[in-house]
Amino acid sequence: MSDSPANKKTAPRKAAVRKRSARARKPAEKKPTPVTPVSVLIIGAGFAGLGMAIRLKQAGIDDFVILERASAVGGTWRDNQYPGAACDIPSNLYSYSFAPNPDWSRSFSGSGEILDYIHHLVSEFDLQKHIRFEKNVTDLCFDEGKGIWTATTDRQETFAGRAAIMAQGPLSNCSFPAITGIEDFQGHKIHSARWDHDYDFAGKRVAVIGTGASGIQIIPELVKVAGHVKVFQRTPGWVLPRPDFTTPQWNKALFRKLPASQQAMRNLLYWTHESMALAVIWNSPLTRIAERLARLHLRRQVKDRWLRRQLTPDFTIGCKRVLVSNDYYPALQKDNAKLITWPIARISEQGIRTVEGIEHQVDCIVFATGFDVSHSGTPFPVRGRNGRLLGDEWQGGAQAYKSINVSGYPNLFMTFGPNSGPGHNSALVYMESQLDYALKGIRKILAEDLKILDVKESVQHQYNKGIQKRLSRTNWNSGCKSWYLTADGFNATMYPGFATQYAAQMADFEEADYETA
Amino acid sequence: MASIDLDKMLAKIKSTQWALSDIDWEAPGAELITEEQWPKLKEFMADLMWIEHVGARAFAALAKKAPTDTLREIYTYFHAEEQRHANAEMALMRRWGMLDGEEIPEPNVNLRIIIEWLDRFADEMPVYVLGTVVPMLEIALDGALCTFLLESVKDPVCHQAFEKINDDESRHLGVGFTVMEMQGHSASYIKMVQMMARVMDPRLILGIASYMPLLNKMRDNVIAMGLPEEKLYKAMNKFERIGGRTEDGRRNPWFQLIKFHGRWVTNRSNKLYHVPVDGLVKLTGMVPRRALPAVPSWVKELTWQPTSTH
Ligand SMILES: Cc1cc2nc3c(=O)[nH]c(=O)nc-3n(C[C@H](O)[C@H](O)[C@H](O)COP(=O)(O)OP(=O)(O)OC[C@H]3O[C@@H](n4cnc5c(N)ncnc54)[C@H](O)[C@@H]3O)c2cc1C
Ligand SMILES: [Fe+2]
Ligand SMILES: [Fe+2]
Repeated sequence: MSDSPANKKTAPRKAAVRKRSARARKPAEKKPTPVTPVSVLIIGAGFAGLGMAIRLKQAGIDDFVILERASAVGGTWRDNQYPGAACDIPSNLYSYSFAPNPDWSRSFSGSGEILDYIHHLVSEFDLQKHIRFEKNVTDLCFDEGKGIWTATTDRQETFAGRAAIMAQGPLSNCSFPAITGIEDFQGHKIHSARWDHDYDFAGKRVAVIGTGASGIQIIPELVKVAGHVKVFQRTPGWVLPRPDFTTPQWNKALFRKLPASQQAMRNLLYWTHESMALAVIWNSPLTRIAERLARLHLRRQVKDRWLRRQLTPDFTIGCKRVLVSNDYYPALQKDNAKLITWPIARISEQGIRTVEGIEHQVDCIVFATGFDVSHSGTPFPVRGRNGRLLGDEWQGGAQAYKSINVSGYPNLFMTFGPNSGPGHNSALVYMESQLDYALKGIRKILAEDLKILDVKESVQHQYNKGIQKRLSRTNWNSGCKSWYLTADGFNATMYPGFATQYAAQMADFEEADYETA
Repeated sequence: MASIDLDKMLAKIKSTQWALSDIDWEAPGAELITEEQWPKLKEFMADLMWIEHVGARAFAALAKKAPTDTLREIYTYFHAEEQRHANAEMALMRRWGMLDGEEIPEPNVNLRIIIEWLDRFADEMPVYVLGTVVPMLEIALDGALCTFLLESVKDPVCHQAFEKINDDESRHLGVGFTVMEMQGHSASYIKMVQMMARVMDPRLILGIASYMPLLNKMRDNVIAMGLPEEKLYKAMNKFERIGGRTEDGRRNPWFQLIKFHGRWVTNRSNKLYHVPVDGLVKLTGMVPRRALPAVPSWVKELTWQPTSTH
């Protein structure tokens, strides 16, 4: 399992790749109007795309464009506006160190406040003029002769850049799950990541499907307003208590007057989360302690033995995302709430039928069922040198060099690429080191007027051998099914180490790793 | 070797689900229950429905212990399906006017003891214990009793319900015997000794002690309903026949143990077994209900209502 499946069987596939891409490339070739390439083409205006833009500006590179398919910035935090939406990493860590916000109102800020912070970044760094809204990229293609990436949108507009940043987000696509009968349901359907703010829950009978990170945030809020909430759980997750508190005024004032104090706070939070890696990533004595802590939390909050059993996970903590909440368990025990662990047989016109034979009739179903995560494909066709298609190469599981470059796809950088996922620390900590790494590459391309900056295949191969070997020793690969893994159990998502290790790996840009032209 | 492909079985289970609302519980035919039948049928149905429910709980324990993801999911479904049987049988009882209002029937004392045992210890039992006991219970008390029932009850709705229940049961048995064979296959001599040592575990003795009177009590029920007890024994012999049809299955020591127990039950002349166990039935019949602890909350999930609106 340490070896990459993609590398083993490239030879017979290549012919097929070429054939397919030749056919698929046709529409791109039709485009007549030559577009003036910018220096950097960024896809996505979430934290990653905007962060990249800020780093470029700070480096004096102003010649870039951000393509965003929606009509507003914010990504995750624009889309996830369900009641109770919040980050589960403290805000002082879930923000950019190069743009601190002294005003976080709570230790774990809500979605609205995070979105405000993102808007603040846009105005503070004057990014608005760079963003092209309603540009849904459907194709990204490299012209080797010119050293230019061209993005095509669903309306056949094209944008070109010498370097391209894929910052379309790992969790930006969602859909209703394929449950039998879902189209028969006559009531209202809402996906957690596309919240319907006009729907009035007061007095309604509501079903929530899914008890992951989003579900456990939504449920306590719905229980407060809805007539009745039935929670359909497939597998329970580990829930740790959350030390949430509002930030006192003196604290905000201190951060404002003495930014170093906020940096110190950030450092403290950073190292606290780093130490969690020991519990979450590898099976260590700390894993047992974390599990014990979660069990204690459960026992304190849930008195009924059977309910406790229903809520007790049977996988190692950390194998899936660890949840944090103080009000989820109490909410489940309110008079107007009920946890249902019977498997869902189908959805019917009036509700949800579970295998114990009962139809649970509801007015509205909330799907907190997560995102369409692609482990082996790309969100749109990405065509590299000689028309090679990234999706084909990734069939057995995605892989890249240091999560950011892929051999054969020069001048292309991805944020949140393969094996960059944090299990225990802020995504933005990882993101910052990706942005700075990309910046180094971009600077090199511009300074040396390169057409090609392509990571060597052997370097990438060697890197992945190491990564998969290290992954095999982690909790994620310990046997539970999660969105971290492909159906075959290949882990193309997580980085098997401390954030500090990741940052160290991203800190040096080794020119010898790249082929240039 | 496993005799069925468990992945295919899981897919089959998922694609053949039914719900209480698939049956019209108000359809004509309820009047076909004779006045003479009614009181005995009431007691029989109450016991049967509790057995389904107890079986459900045993599957819940199996799901926790299942060695593979597929088996875990299968057992999770079986847990719910047994609950569905209990719910459907309660719906029949309600149709026949056997429920006092909305109330679920009172479990008899043997069942209360088994419920208590399951609640406390089932999750701690190794998978091969429950994996052997459950198919036995299924064949003897559930699958077989249902067939007898259909012979004496003419109500078409009852037949409709039990057709669905029996379809589920045939899958439960298929999986049950496959798993027993899988376990037998991997049992080395040392493991066998270890398994046998389990018999000395007081929790298990407690479980067996509550299981044995249950079998005898059900035998009494069957006879009270005018059904020949040979039929029950025939069904139990089926366990021996199917479970022991392969080398692997026979090598499972739990199969051997339960098989011998089945032989004792069906051999009325085995006084050594029946005298004390019948005594236990009588004894447990005298335990005052108030002496029993409150039922665990999983019991409260039973319902005869096809739809739940709040
Ligand atoms: C509910 C929720 C809670 C979370 N909580 C935390 C947390 O507490 N801590 C943490 O570290 N992480 C958390 N995350 C992870 C979070 O996704 C990342 O931290 C981060 O916000 C990702 O930023 P991004 O810019 O990479 O992606 P996104 O925020 O998803 O932004 C991507 C942008 O690209 C656009 N886009 C996508 N496809 C295209 C296309 N084809 N063409 C043009 N534009 C496109 C999208 O519209 C979007 O605006 C959470 C995620 C969710 C969903
Ligand atoms: Fe049954
Ligand atoms: Fe069964």
